[in-house]
Amino acid sequence: MVVDNVIWGAPASGVSALERELARLRRARSAHASEQGHTVARASVLNLVVFATREVHAKRAARTIADLSQRHPSRAIVVWVDRPGSTATDRLAMHCDLPRADGREQVSCEQILVRAPGDAGARLASAVIPLLLPDLPVFLWWTDTPPFDAPHFDAMLELADRFIIDSADFARPELSLKRVREVCARGSGRYGVTDFNWTRLTPWRDLVSAFFDVPAWRPYLDSITGVRVGFTVDADGREVHPSQALLLVGWLASRLGWLAAQSLAPSEAGGMLFSMTRGDGTRIPVRVRPRFERGLEEGDLSGLRIQATRDGKLAEFVVKRAAGNAHVTTSVIIDGSLVTERVMPLSAPRVGDLLGEELTIVASDHVYEDALAALVALS
Amino acid sequence: MTLTANPLRAGPRLSRIPEPSTLVIFGGSGDLSARKLMPALYNLALQRLLPPTFLVVGTARAQLADALFRDELHKAVSEFSRTKPINEEVWRSFADHVHYVSTGTSGGYGVLGDTLNRLEGELGMPGNRLFYLATPPSAYGPIVHGIGAHGLARTNGWSRVVVEKPFGNDLASAVDLSEKLHEVFREDQVFRIDHYLGKETVQNILVLRFANAIFEPLWTRQYVDHVQITVAETLGVEERAGYYDHAGASRDVVQNHLLQLMALVAMEPPIAFDANAVRDEKVKVLRAIRPIATDDVPNTTVRGQYAPGFIEGMAVRGYREEDDVAPNSTTETYVAMRLFIDNWRWEGTPFYLRTGKRMPKRSTEIAIQFRSAPHQVFSRESAAGLEPNTLVLRIQPDEGISLKFGAKVPVQGIRIRSVNMDFVYGASFMVDAPDAYETLILDALRGDATLFTRRDEVEQQWRLVDPIIDAWRAGQIDLPTYASGSWGPTEADLLIARDGRTWRQP
Ligand SMILES: NC(=O)c1ccc[n+]([C@@H]2O[C@H](COP(=O)([O-])OP(=O)(O)OC[C@H]3O[C@@H](n4cnc5c(N)ncnc54)[C@H](OP(=O)(O)O)[C@@H]3O)[C@@H](O)[C@H]2O)c1
Repeated sequence: MVVDNVIWGAPASGVSALERELARLRRARSAHASEQGHTVARASVLNLVVFATREVHAKRAARTIADLSQRHPSRAIVVWVDRPGSTATDRLAMHCDLPRADGREQVSCEQILVRAPGDAGARLASAVIPLLLPDLPVFLWWTDTPPFDAPHFDAMLELADRFIIDSADFARPELSLKRVREVCARGSGRYGVTDFNWTRLTPWRDLVSAFFDVPAWRPYLDSITGVRVGFTVDADGREVHPSQALLLVGWLASRLGWLAAQSLAPSEAGGMLFSMTRGDGTRIPVRVRPRFERGLEEGDLSGLRIQATRDGKLAEFVVKRAAGNAHVTTSVIIDGSLVTERVMPLSAPRVGDLLGEELTIVASDHVYEDALAALVALS
Repeated sequence: MTLTANPLRAGPRLSRIPEPSTLVIFGGSGDLSARKLMPALYNLALQRLLPPTFLVVGTARAQLADALFRDELHKAVSEFSRTKPINEEVWRSFADHVHYVSTGTSGGYGVLGDTLNRLEGELGMPGNRLFYLATPPSAYGPIVHGIGAHGLARTNGWSRVVVEKPFGNDLASAVDLSEKLHEVFREDQVFRIDHYLGKETVQNILVLRFANAIFEPLWTRQYVDHVQITVAETLGVEERAGYYDHAGASRDVVQNHLLQLMALVAMEPPIAFDANAVRDEKVKVLRAIRPIATDDVPNTTVRGQYAPGFIEGMAVRGYREEDDVAPNSTTETYVAMRLFIDNWRWEGTPFYLRTGKRMPKRSTEIAIQFRSAPHQVFSRESAAGLEPNTLVLRIQPDEGISLKFGAKVPVQGIRIRSVNMDFVYGASFMVDAPDAYETLILDALRGDATLFTRRDEVEQQWRLVDPIIDAWRAGQIDLPTYASGSWGPTEADLLIARDGRTWRQP
């Protein structure tokens, strides 16, 4: 188990040694800062526990934590565990550091690494508990597909107020999302669950909602006749599971009371084609289709179109990523003529933005849980 | 037909976006519009906080083509936006819905009305209109009259009016202006700006006081020795002399910002965080402030005017040497005063207020100084370094809260020193807070008046300030000068020293 001290800081032989080292680092940083005429504040608003089995994930987490340190001062504990089966010594190693965002001096974040061998599962919670700052919420960010059946997963979940996953990284989302739904249901009242794939949808949901903030267009919500959602695939057209796009459909369905009329089925043209039923029994064809887009991650939304008919008029509400992918265009077309069009900034989200948004939400997000339930009901 | 709420707008993440609406800016070609309003609107567009259909119509007397108006605004936004560089695509999409109408000709208001109806009709908008008065105050009356006479505020949607500060220059003119507004708008349609209330940290005063249970019990005459509120600027009068030389610090800062800050620290808990509940409590406490009688003006207020001096090492002119200031001007650029609140909570607790231009440092803060421990158990020499507990709410810069308390110096024996426990708002939460105008425009578009001053508040504030200004003008009271870069005239130190206290060093 090789640990890079440049990233993770000096090793410490146990919890008290580690706390001593952190205190020493804080003093040194604050002495250095006051020489430069800065002041240093230690203010923490949360504990962030990151669970990773891959080095890239652990490192990405460390970078993200440093970037966010100004906005979300936290104690971050990265638990980096070898995959089961890998052989290593059985000691847990601990390292600590005070990362800084782009060279700024303020200390507002403490980073701890717990490096563990693959068979350390049962011991992990006991290593993390003494490191948590008291009285502050615990966010648990699981960077892989969670081991839903492992006892140590439950033990870690016990510590959490918020549980964060990224279903874009799941190997088999169609199976794992069902399990996430169970985790949600079990957590009710104790912890809330969220998914970066849901966070990625926030601006899209905002834009879709905005159409129906307009009183003249709100009635169309009850008479939607079709939905099309595009998601990104890379150039070689390798199939990815459109879990993000389906989550958006799940959101519409749960908010508007649509039910699954038939199960998800792959469409011949790629993607999926299925239908749902409105409260009044009308069928709504839903099409989720792959698009090749530069500059976006696989699975990210590329656009959507909602069609509705009312009083003999056909309305289309469209959100499309513009070329270059830094903007979206939203337009409303009624009976074929463009009523209004707007351009708004929407860049591909970075992990830091996603985590940053999640860290501002302490309660459960029921809208997410309902959307997930609707998605799971589809498959 | 009543519409049900939008079922999609639910959950903790989606912001509340205003209904489709039109912002009509009177004085759209002016300085405020260029410096504050347009940059705020552009930044709202950038954050996707504007409604899906949104129009801006600027008006003023001059003739100006839409294209030229947009070009001017583009320049202004490029210079004054808090985010740079300008996102050209977003700007273009926003500017497409920006128009200009001249009200300089006799038919001006008719044209304005027709233009609004036409533009709104094209977008299927119900005619929700926010009129923003950003002209010199002398034009407010005629503009409101024009809005009324041409029925611009009578639409199928809502209409509201935002009025910039200063709201009147004394009680009579403020009453008069409210009356004029009320010929066309109901009070709940009138949004009076005090941009201080749009600042995040000012709102944080209410959160600190009413979301935490531990401070409120201490927030009374029993535990508080006195309160100091400071609004210090390093700037001089700059380009605003034309206005400032008539207003002075008492009208420019005391009547609005200082009294609002005082109301927020001293008010009773409101029953809810909504516009009328909060403002009811503010009015109550403003009414309880003991008016300063003419005879008391000399010993409970101090005014001053800045003389030449140094600011951050640079030599600066005195007030009377500034451009557009009369060489014998008696306008005050500094005010300090002591106020009392006659109610159960605050009886006998002095509130010291001060504001000045050309102070050594820019700082707005509220300091609550608590009483000393009732009985000193430590020997006099061990407690020599102990100062009373002070809770400081810093509004700007370095927004935050600090609490001073005594702690043992780590050596053998007991020696006590005061230490500051500091909470820097920016270090705990996002640093780039929105500009106050973004918050206020968005609130006005949503119809939330919590952060705007109500008629009775403004009038009560004038009732407190008018007699002081009158006494200064009538009496033989000094107008001492103070060197630029100092904390005001020595008379101000004497004012507080008479009570056995001293001003804090902010
Ligand atoms: N500038 C600031 O930073 C600031 C800060 C706080 C409060 N305010 C307040 O905001 C208001 C505007 O200030 P400002 O600095 O923007 O003034 P300004 O630069 O002089 O602009 C005044 C604007 O009003 C128009 N105007 C003047 N007289 C008019 C009339 N009779 N009818 C219709 N339009 C008229 C002017 O255009 P035409 O001459 O073409 O009509 C111009 O567009 C004032 O009440 C001021 O106290 C300003």
